[in-house]
Amino acid sequence: MTTLDHAVIRRKAKLWDRLYPYFSVLLPILVIGLFTIYPVLYAVRISFYQYILTKPKVHPFVGLANYIEVVTSYYFRNSLINTAVYTVAAVIGITLFGLGVALLLNSKIRSANALRVIILLPWAIPAVVGGLIWKWILNSDFGILNGILYAAGFIKEYIPFLANPNLAKLSLIMAAIWKEGPLAAIFFLAGLQLIPNELYEAAKIDGGGGWKIFRHVTLPLLKPIILIVVIYETITAILVFDLIYVMTGGGPGDATSMISWFAYAEIFKNLNLGHGVALAVIIALIILALILAYLRIIKYEEVVG
Amino acid sequence: MGITLKRQIGSFFGNLLVFLLIIYILGPFLWMAIASFQGENELLKRPPSIIPQNPTTDNYRYVFTGEIPTAYEVKGQLRSRISQEARLIAPALKNSFIVAIVVMVINLLIGTPAAYTFARINFRGKALWYNFILGSRLIPVMAVAIPYYVIIKNLKLLDTYQGLILIYCALTLPFTIWFLSMYISNIPREMEDAALVDGCTPFQALVNIVVPLMAPGLVAASAFAFMTSYNEFLFARLITQSIKSQTGPVIIASIAGNPDASYSLISVCITLGLIPPLILAITMRKWLTEGLSASITFR
Repeated sequence: MTTLDHAVIRRKAKLWDRLYPYFSVLLPILVIGLFTIYPVLYAVRISFYQYILTKPKVHPFVGLANYIEVVTSYYFRNSLINTAVYTVAAVIGITLFGLGVALLLNSKIRSANALRVIILLPWAIPAVVGGLIWKWILNSDFGILNGILYAAGFIKEYIPFLANPNLAKLSLIMAAIWKEGPLAAIFFLAGLQLIPNELYEAAKIDGGGGWKIFRHVTLPLLKPIILIVVIYETITAILVFDLIYVMTGGGPGDATSMISWFAYAEIFKNLNLGHGVALAVIIALIILALILAYLRIIKYEEVVG
Repeated sequence: MGITLKRQIGSFFGNLLVFLLIIYILGPFLWMAIASFQGENELLKRPPSIIPQNPTTDNYRYVFTGEIPTAYEVKGQLRSRISQEARLIAPALKNSFIVAIVVMVINLLIGTPAAYTFARINFRGKALWYNFILGSRLIPVMAVAIPYYVIIKNLKLLDTYQGLILIYCALTLPFTIWFLSMYISNIPREMEDAALVDGCTPFQALVNIVVPLMAPGLVAASAFAFMTSYNEFLFARLITQSIKSQTGPVIIASIAGNPDASYSLISVCITLGLIPPLILAITMRKWLTEGLSASITFR
């Protein structure tokens, strides 16, 4: 009798062992699946129909019309150019900032320890709040930046930072570096700490100066991290929304209307879901292309290096 | 001599650079905090005073008790700049906090076993599911904002904690699972193997052996999940409708979007809203840094 019981228990245990892996991943997959499969199908479907919220009863199938209308519009070209300019500038700025801070943190300069304590702060806060703080600092009537520049005698009149097309772009980039730079700095610092000290010492014995060592030892070894940071920040920059929402609202005019903002405006301001979602699908394809390129480069690196 | 001089100049510029960076990073936070202790009339001066002339806690008192600051009674027109909405910041931060804590706990409870399974156990379709989970985060939020709203509406969860929690779990679980499974696969597996041979189930091995070893990873993953939920704006804006569920960023953006709102009160709300993430970022600095570093150097 006891042997039979044992056999049953063992069989049950075996079944449970076989099922356990599926069981353990079930809940996360259900939650993620609910918010992935349905939304993607829904979005793709909507992008082929006319969905204008001011005409709630008519949703004719329009094929690629949404895509064609969006892509051929002036606003698309404008937002694409804005996004490209912003992305290039922000990614360069963030990478240089991150690299600079990481080098300082990794150096013997003692005051850099203070930097270590505070570096994560901008990264840790909501982007909308970060944007609001900068918006107010840059305010053309009461902003503290204008106040300081004025009190120090650098300017005679307050500068309307967010009302000038070029300065508004620059302001967004400055806020983006402030918000995203810390993460890049931590990533670069992690990369720097992986470089064995002996390499630096060997380079020093070979008579390398600071710049030479950086150029020929640090930079090549940091290349994989630089690549990851650049790709990650490029994606983040292309998707930038929160900062624009609070700082410029796409303005002045359409000077800071980036592609994500354009999609948002189509959906929530013009109430044209078809257009907005078609745009979002285009953005998704751009991001996907970037990631595939990135995976290819990584593979290439693995094969070559 | 030449070398020491060069070194001194180098260290001078190094220190100067550190100083400028500290101002750039910390300045905006300090200015918010300083502004929150000033009266509106002082902030609207040209130039505003960096050091408060008459520091006051009136703005905070208004937010918590509704007592109108004296600085606003000096000039009649300033009265209108009192924004009632500022008083919503305390309940909004409470909402943010509850939602973020629950999301964090769910991440730990269901994310950790899933991560362990992906790291250690082979089962059919493993690679497919893993890539599905990671790939889900590549979809731009703007594309799925409307369908998310539809889902939450159909589940009758608009304007509830549950709606926010569900969305944030879907947003945070992929990172948690990826991060923890990477973390686990970097832990040597001899001890677990021994336990499994002794008749332990995988779940027992996870709880008794692996969890203590991965404590730093769990701390980092919790902090990431908390911050993502606490900081999220677009979906919170979309599916919350009243102070029953509106979170900190939604209320702060809404107050600041009101052209008549007073700057002192906005800065009080921002300062209060930033206290939790800033405390977290400073106290958890070590784990966050290690977690972030690990996430980029893992192979």
